Amino acid sequence: MGVIYPPIRQWDFAGGALRATLAGVRPAGSLCKESGAFWLGDRAAVARVTTVVLPSGDGVMESSGRWQVSAEVFGSISRWVTPRRLCLLGMAHTHMPGVPVRLSQTDRSHGVHVPGFLEIVIGNAGRDTDHRVWGWHVYEDGRYRRLLEPELSVRISLAFEIRIDVWRADAHGVYPGGTDEQPNVQ
Amino acid sequence: MDTAGQLGSEQAVRQVVDHEIVVVTVSYLPAPNSFNHKFSNQTAIGTVRADAMNFFGVSDHKDRDVHEFFLEFEGRRLTNMTETLEQLLGRHRHEAHFHLVEQVTKGSV
Repeated sequence: MGVIYPPIRQWDFAGGALRATLAGVRPAGSLCKESGAFWLGDRAAVARVTTVVLPSGDGVMESSGRWQVSAEVFGSISRWVTPRRLCLLGMAHTHMPGVPVRLSQTDRSHGVHVPGFLEIVIGNAGRDTDHRVWGWHVYEDGRYRRLLEPELSVRISLAFEIRIDVWRADAHGVYPGGTDEQPNVQ
Repeated sequence: MDTAGQLGSEQAVRQVVDHEIVVVTVSYLPAPNSFNHKFSNQTAIGTVRADAMNFFGVSDHKDRDVHEFFLEFEGRRLTNMTETLEQLLGRHRHEAHFHLVEQVTKGSV
């Protein structure tokens, strides 16, 4: 198992990944619906998130209490990822205002169950811009565990030099969704 | 002593061996490496699925919901687990790339 899923000591993000995620989830949030994003990159001891994929449309359910991505969307992203040698490192999704940023039982059940996988909950329908108040959870020893300070600051790093690619995905394919070429200023 | 019959038989065996191997690759989105294995073309899709799931350390299970893994091939979900690689690919194709995908069906709880 360790060879298949190399242990991750730290996740490096560009501020662009977080901005792209927030920009992707806020339109649904403004309609009081949950939404989310896939974070992809290189899996290694220091994993780098280089790509944000925003599922929407066919195969994606956004509602006030649930964000669900169908197996067909996972399939289309998997086909797209193969030649790019990217790996799904984590998923972020929103909770509505007043709902804690911890994983619900449904979130825990529907999450990806492989070691080191990240599940992030963004509060206030995507209006919480400070990633340190998001709910960061890592799958370890057969369950999701919340990352709290000081571990959070040690293991989650904003690596300013990473350029972020942003894509959109549905059950039929993956499409360009813009590229974050702005200097990361967070 | 070689006979025409023995030579013919060896040639036939070689032809069978040449034909029966399929190089299979299975990708799983959260895994950095793919599952790569050579199967007989008489191998059932269910066997490929089971071997790939074992490689990736995942299993069908039930908690609040029902979690099932399936193989996708060229955008199509494979549901017939007894279908062989030869039946899926035809006799002349010797490689196949599958994607392992999890289907979560909401439970009744």
